[in-house]
Amino acid sequence: MSTIGHEDTPVVHMENIVKRFGTITALDGVDFTVDKQQVMALVGDNGAGKSTLIKILTGVHRPDRGQIYFEGQPVQIQSPREARALGIETCYQDLALVNLMSISRNFFLGRELARRLGPVNWLDMREMSTLTRTSLADVGINIRSPSQRVGELSGGERQSIAIGRAMHFGAKLLILDEPTSALSVAETRKVLTYTLNAKERGLSVIFISHNVRHVYQVADAYTILRHGRKVGTYAKGELTEDDIADLITGERER
Amino acid sequence: MPSLTVTLTRLRFRLAEFSEVVALISFLAVFLFFVTAAENFLTPVCIANILTFASITGIVVVGVAMLMISGEFDLSVGSTFAVASYVFALSLNAGVAPLAALLLALLVSAVLGLGNGLIVTWSGIPSFITTLGTMLAYRGIARAIGGGDFAYYTGEKPLLFDVLNGPITALNQLSHPPSNFRVSILWFIAIAIVMSLVLMRTRYGNWVFATGGNPGAALAQGVAVKRVKVINFVLAGLLAGVASVMQFAHRTSVDPLRGEGMELVAVAAAVIGGVRLTGGFGTIVGASVGMVLLTMLEQGLVLMKIPVQIFRAVAGAILILSVIANTYISRRE
Repeated sequence: MSTIGHEDTPVVHMENIVKRFGTITALDGVDFTVDKQQVMALVGDNGAGKSTLIKILTGVHRPDRGQIYFEGQPVQIQSPREARALGIETCYQDLALVNLMSISRNFFLGRELARRLGPVNWLDMREMSTLTRTSLADVGINIRSPSQRVGELSGGERQSIAIGRAMHFGAKLLILDEPTSALSVAETRKVLTYTLNAKERGLSVIFISHNVRHVYQVADAYTILRHGRKVGTYAKGELTEDDIADLITGERER
Repeated sequence: MPSLTVTLTRLRFRLAEFSEVVALISFLAVFLFFVTAAENFLTPVCIANILTFASITGIVVVGVAMLMISGEFDLSVGSTFAVASYVFALSLNAGVAPLAALLLALLVSAVLGLGNGLIVTWSGIPSFITTLGTMLAYRGIARAIGGGDFAYYTGEKPLLFDVLNGPITALNQLSHPPSNFRVSILWFIAIAIVMSLVLMRTRYGNWVFATGGNPGAALAQGVAVKRVKVINFVLAGLLAGVASVMQFAHRTSVDPLRGEGMELVAVAAAVIGGVRLTGGFGTIVGASVGMVLLTMLEQGLVLMKIPVQIFRAVAGAILILSVIANTYISRRE
């Protein structure tokens, strides 16, 4: 791994990842690679190990074995904060936003703009409101008011804001965890568009879903997990939608 | 032209932005009721009594509300309150300098709060259960160090007592008969304002809301959720201690039952003030108004010569009505 900064260096490379919870082996030696500006779909049935793999990458869990390389460098990701510092942004299905808080408070959560006054970090509310509005507009998301509570928005709007936030904060790798699972058709289309926008802006994306149809529209490649093992990684066009579905369920071995 | 229902719904949504709106409306209603129904209610003596009584528990409420907004309970504040008074009293009687005795009492309160916080965050046991346990345990500590008996301070009152909770003489003598405004009112207002600013205008406050509103999302955004909770448990314990030494500075005695039931009054005040039981929503101002409301209710009923037992029934009714009202205005359809 001496090709640091080289065009071909994958954004992330996870090698032989093993994770056990008690007697259950959630991941059994999984390799996973995402290239620059690639939309990598991570698919598999419930319990296949998708979430566990992502939680290891984002510092929520520590692997029992295996090594992670970020842009060619071996890294130990100990917390979500460290993952973010590397440029890994995650939009979790249920864990993206705090519904009772305003859009701007959510947008800057954990990265609040503040003026230091002695021991106190005073929030710069006005600046945060302005920036929330303009930077979401930058990525094509228009909101009514930054002070609106997130709970009042539709599922698609919430997902868009989470994606917009990740893009604004200069993520290199954007992880979308089941971004379309609770959305209407129109809203799903929007989210898929944002995903492609993110790629055009130079980001790499991991798109986790068990909806093969959604994945098929945006992914450059697929990694399929089953029962904690990797079935394989396939380029776009190598498989049909039906092939993917069969590989997920294990109806067909390859 | 939007119809009346639409207008009303919009108004409701507007109101829902302010979590203390129900508390303020109930406050006004109860206030106006007593102004018309209770003789001598709108007098300096009565107002002073309400504020003086409310201020002690009110300081406890500030800590409890902050903790509740971050999604946790503390049922042990009443017991911590007792421990703090005993530590203060016994240290003073042992000849410890007043300021040192004060700091010791506050340190012990903070440590008891820290105990709650560490147990909850390490074990993952719900704080309701944890602090129900420590409520009993801390009460036991209070009884043990006090020998199950009263503790008195009989010496000369040090200056510190006046700073903590002396009478505001200049104000009190303006009325006839003289009223009993005490310094604890000023402390309560100051603490409520400071904590309100911390909650609404600082990064820490943002983390408190996020921790209570959606701990998973907060954690994913790099908020140190456990640290926020532990700090708020320490704060709840510490403020219970602060309130306790203030009350002791006034009464100069403490009994084994001191502070008993205070934890529930504090939760009730916070909830009446619009703090959500499930966390993530509420204000210090609302919770403080809730506390003054409860005290006003008690004093008003006393003035009307209604048996004090009725107070609990009325307080309970107001609590339930407030929750219903809060739930109604924050409904999203």
